[in-house]
Parts: sequence; C-alpha cells; structure tokens
Amino acid sequence: MIEAREVCLKYADGTEALKNVNVKIENGDIVYVTGPSGSGKTSLLKLFMGIEYPTSGSLTVLGQPISKGQTSGINKLRRTIGPVFQQFRLIKGRTALENVMLGMRFLDFNKDEIMENSKASLKNVGLEDKISSLVENLSWGECQRVAIARALARKPALILADEPTGNLDRDNAVRILHLLTGLKDKKTTVIITTHATHLIDGKKGDMLIHIDKGSICYERLE
Amino acid sequence: MKGWNKSDMKKTIYNMGYFLNETKTIIKTDLLSNIFSLLCMVLIFFILSLIIAVWRISMYEVKVIEKDAQISVYYDLNLDNNSQAQLVENIKSISGVNEVYMVGKDEAYKRMQEILGDDAQVLEFFDNNPFSPFLEVTIKLDNMNPILESLNKLEGVDFVRDNRQVLSHIKSIVNMISLLGFLFITAAGISTVVIISHIIGMGIQSNIEQVNTLKLLGAPKNFIAFPFLLEGLLLTISGGLISSAFGSLTLSYIYSKMSGPIPFLPLPPIGKLISNLIILLICISAVLGTAGSIFGLSSSREKV
Repeated sequence: MIEAREVCLKYADGTEALKNVNVKIENGDIVYVTGPSGSGKTSLLKLFMGIEYPTSGSLTVLGQPISKGQTSGINKLRRTIGPVFQQFRLIKGRTALENVMLGMRFLDFNKDEIMENSKASLKNVGLEDKISSLVENLSWGECQRVAIARALARKPALILADEPTGNLDRDNAVRILHLLTGLKDKKTTVIITTHATHLIDGKKGDMLIHIDKGSICYERLE
Repeated sequence: MKGWNKSDMKKTIYNMGYFLNETKTIIKTDLLSNIFSLLCMVLIFFILSLIIAVWRISMYEVKVIEKDAQISVYYDLNLDNNSQAQLVENIKSISGVNEVYMVGKDEAYKRMQEILGDDAQVLEFFDNNPFSPFLEVTIKLDNMNPILESLNKLEGVDFVRDNRQVLSHIKSIVNMISLLGFLFITAAGISTVVIISHIIGMGIQSNIEQVNTLKLLGAPKNFIAFPFLLEGLLLTISGGLISSAFGSLTLSYIYSKMSGPIPFLPLPPIGKLISNLIILLICISAVLGTAGSIFGLSSSREKV
C-alpha cells in the first residue's frame, strides 16, 4: 500500500513540484497518472521510489517510510519495485538479455530463474529475437520494451512506469499497457504515468490520478 | 562485507562470471590509466622484491655466522704437549663449547696466505713465520660471555680473541637493511593504496551512470562495489606476479655472478628464496590491493 498525507515536494531551486498530495493506493491497484508535461508526474514517481524525499508531509510505500535517514530501508524497498524510467537507464555495451538479467542478479532468484524470467519477459514484450542485440543497436521503442522487460522480470510488488508507451507505436503501446495492467491478477500494484490518455483502457476500480501544477485529484473508475 | 550470509555468498559465486566481465569492462574503459597503474605496481613490487631478498640473504648470513661462531684462544707457548692436551680437554668441558681445534704455526701461516691471496707475497718479507699457534674454539653464540669468562680463568691461556665486533657490525647492517626494508614497505604500501584507490575512483566516475542505475534498482553496495574491488586486486596481484618473475630472474643472475668471485659467501638456497619471495609478494599485493580498493570505495562512498 502507498499512503501520502499532505506531501509537498520542493526542489532546491525553489520549484514546487507537488503540493499537499493526499492519496491512498491499495495493493493490486492499477493507477494511471495523467497530466500535462511538467505537471509533476515524474516527481510523484520519484517520491514513490525514494529518489526524492517529501519536503513536508508523510509518505509510506509498501510499509517503508520515505524520508531522509531511511537509506537502507529505501534500498530494500527498491528491490521490490519494478521501475521503468523515462530515459530507460539501460547499460550500454550489454545485450538486451544481460540488461534484463542485471536487474535480478542481486534479488532472491537462482541462476536458472534469472535466465528463464529474463527470456520470458523479453518474449512478452515482443523482443525474443533481440535478446542478443546490444542495447545501443536497438531503436528507442525497443529500448523502452527492454526497460519494461527488466521491470517485469523482477516479479515486483510494485511497478512504477514513467511514460512506458512514450516511444511505442500504437500496437506495441496497447500490448505493453495490456501486459502491465494484466499484473492486477498477480496482486501487483501498477502505477503508470502517461500522456496517451486515449490508450487508457481503464477497468472498474482502477484509479485515475490527474496532476496539474503539482496539485492532484483522483477518482476510481466505475 | 557487513552482514553477509550464505545466500549472499551463493549469489556472489554464481555472479562471479558477471563480476569478472564487469571488471574487464571497467579496465577497458580506462585502459591507459590501468596499464600505467599496472606498470607502477610492477616497479614498486620489483624494488620491494629486491629489498626483501637482500634482507633475507643478510639474515641468512647472520644465522650462518652465529651458528659457526668461533673464537681464537692463544696459549702460553711454553706449555708442553701434555699441558696443551689438558688445556684442550678443559676447554671442551666448558658448557656451550662445540669443538676445539688446534691450529699450528704452519697452518696459521697457510690460512693467512689463503686470505691474502695475490697479496700473500707480503709475508715473504718476514724471515720467520710470524704467526703463533692457537686453539680454534667453535661455540654457541648465546653463551659467548660465560665461555669467555671461563676461558680467561684457565691456566695457560694468554689471551682470547673473539669476533664480537664483526658480528655486531653485520648485525647493525642487517638492522639497517630491516629498517630500510620496513620504510620501503610502508612507502610501497601507501603508494599502492593511493594508486589503487585513485584508479578505482576513476573507474567509478567513468561508470557513474551504471552505478546510479544499479542503485535505483536497489542493488546492495557490495554488489555494486565488487567489480571495482576485483579491479584493484587484479592490478596488484598481476603487478605482484610480474614483479616476482622479474625478481626471480634478477636473483638468479646475481647468484650466478656471485658464485664466481666470492664463493666463500654463504647464500641461502635460491629455489627456496625465490619460492618464499613469490608467496610473500603475492600475499602483500593481495592485501594492498584489497586495502587500496576498500579505501577507493570508501572515498567514493557517496557515489556507490
């Protein structure tokens, strides 16, 4: 569960990224975060990952308080998260498979599970024929799918996907969103930020968070 | 490696291939710096190997000299044969005396001729043999003082010449070599730690994106740091191995050169000397590599 109470985030340069955020996300929820560019979507995910700390208010992610002095706990929390970064953060000079495996090497998987999960995840995102390709030789869309495969292979309790369909064509975008929202059955919480509101195929109970200039409003789909 | 358990160990073992690959990539990223660091390591460990070798040889010399410590006992020349034999028996009965050998006038003359070598012709200026007969007494060095006391009390003994001065000279030389060796080992240790920590700092800087990504994925510090630790170890152990090869060749050469002109100088067996030196250098390089890597990692702890 993620619970934010009166959370504010102000960057060192004075930019107020988030204002008085109050939200409660249950385990297994599918959450779409929408809003214009620069509205604070990525900042919200950064808070959930413990990359930024709330300037005021309290935030708990999967039972872990997000605040300064919680480095060790936050590091452990990150092992239960499957992050999809806007800039992918893939390791150059390594193949797609190596990148996916790298995200699992320090988790509680054995050698065979690492290999099987990684290959299965790459297959799920439609990259089974690119497993041996170096990531610098892949297109942006393919890199994005490798990043998604890396997040999925970790079998995380929480997926934080920042614009996961931003570089994909419509068919692949639909496929990826379907793949991510399908994790609801496995009680995985999925939080997706997106511009592409037209692609959202929300189901009953899914949460829709809209951010504008750091303020949020949310609703549960009926 | 705080808080390591069996599972972490297992993960490290099956990730060893990955760690080695990462280390290779880190080295390739800063290849030139790594090559120069390796050359520095080789040079430092080579000089260290020579100093250690000289120190071990000196220690061996002292041991050999101490083992065969001899003193010369000059006796009253008016003693008859029976009294001389009695004196020998009396000396043999002193605790700590291993052997007593009677050196006659002629043998003393011959020995001096051998010592002087080409300059022995100086002895021809004497009309008569100028040397006196004496008793050569081999003793345990630790008992030198009580033996000298007992000898001086014996009837018929004129005076005793010991080699204490020579021994103390050699001992002070060895002490100086040990001190120099210690100072050099300290200097080599500090230089190695600084070089390795610097190269690791550079490696982390060059791979900062990867380090940050791993941190965001929740990788433990040990997992992120291990390839850098391996880099430090690889550099120092390679340096240790290469320098021990050079050191062995140099020692073999020195031994071959020394056996001709100074054959009487007792030298330790070269095989044992070299094998001990290689083991010692590898151990020192591994310890310094680990220390340098840990120092480098802790200097960059905010990045890792």
